[in-house]
Amino acid sequence: MIQSGKFLRALSAGILAAVVTSAAAQTPSPTQQATTPAAIGYVKTVTGQAWVTTTGQRVSAAPGTPIMIGSQLKTMAQASLGVTFKDNTMMSFGPDTELTVDEYLYDPAQSQLKLGTSLARGSLNYVSGVIAKLKPEGVAVKTPTGIIGVRGTQFVALVEDVK
Amino acid sequence: MKSIQHMMNHACKLTLAAVALALLGACAAPPPPPPKSYVALLASPDGSVGKVVVQGQRGEQVLAKAQQGALLDGSQPPFDVSAEKLQSDFGAAMKARPELPEQFLLYFELGGAQLTPESKTLMTRIVERALARQSVDMSVIGHSDTQGAANANEALALKRATAIAEQLREMGLKDAVLAVESHGERNLLVPTPDETAEPRNRRVEITLR
Repeated sequence: MIQSGKFLRALSAGILAAVVTSAAAQTPSPTQQATTPAAIGYVKTVTGQAWVTTTGQRVSAAPGTPIMIGSQLKTMAQASLGVTFKDNTMMSFGPDTELTVDEYLYDPAQSQLKLGTSLARGSLNYVSGVIAKLKPEGVAVKTPTGIIGVRGTQFVALVEDVK
Repeated sequence: MKSIQHMMNHACKLTLAAVALALLGACAAPPPPPPKSYVALLASPDGSVGKVVVQGQRGEQVLAKAQQGALLDGSQPPFDVSAEKLQSDFGAAMKARPELPEQFLLYFELGGAQLTPESKTLMTRIVERALARQSVDMSVIGHSDTQGAANANEALALKRATAIAEQLREMGLKDAVLAVESHGERNLLVPTPDETAEPRNRRVEITLR
């Protein structure tokens, strides 16, 4: 009885190991990840010094820098930055601007659509994309004093620095 | 001496008050407050004008006209924003706007991953346009019509998208960021009932960003 229990345990451990191994085998290698990152958008234009900070990692923005959910975009004085998202939403920023991408869901075939950002300060030019077209109520830009809802259009927003 | 200074001060105040009154009188309506944190609606690149809704701490405003603005706290009715004001506040942000994305549709012969002759020609153009961009990322999304089982169509659409992505890489886009997806029969261009052969739904959508 004890022996069969041991055997079962050994067997289940073996199965577990096999599952773990196959899961590890399915994890994309670093090179595969580099070609298919979990990016939701990319930097397209930069002048001056701009930063993209994702999960605590700050990188100097350049054309091709990936944007992820949670990324914070920041431009310094006399700098600008332009980003295009997977759903063709475009956001560009003038100097001394700070925006965080809080939420991004883009799966039109499953009606999973959401784009939530926070503009803490600075200037933003926003050209809406597929998400705003298919699900306007899924798009919002939060600012310190109000929330901007987007119904398929282009707009600009200025948030003055509170000092 | 003291009294003269006092009198002059008084006179100054009176003059200022008179000027202020004159200014007020000159304008029938008080001028709009200088916008601080605000949003302004613009026409989209395609010329259409949508809507912006502001839900602020002090009210809600709706903008439906181009070059109309509203304070972000929602406290005031919409006001017009001059082109000069837009330029001085947003010139840099507007100039940084990325190139507009471009979309192409490729069509397939029935049942397989073979492109129609017209779509073969289009492939060359897509590669040219992609290479012309400074920094390009692209999505390649496969779609099917509704003829056949949904899961078979999912696989077929993925096969089409993968074949196209492979060809694009071979045609000079080796290092481009290509996201390959299948929407199967879930995202029809032309709505049809199930089990309907529809050439326009057998497609791969390519977007250059």
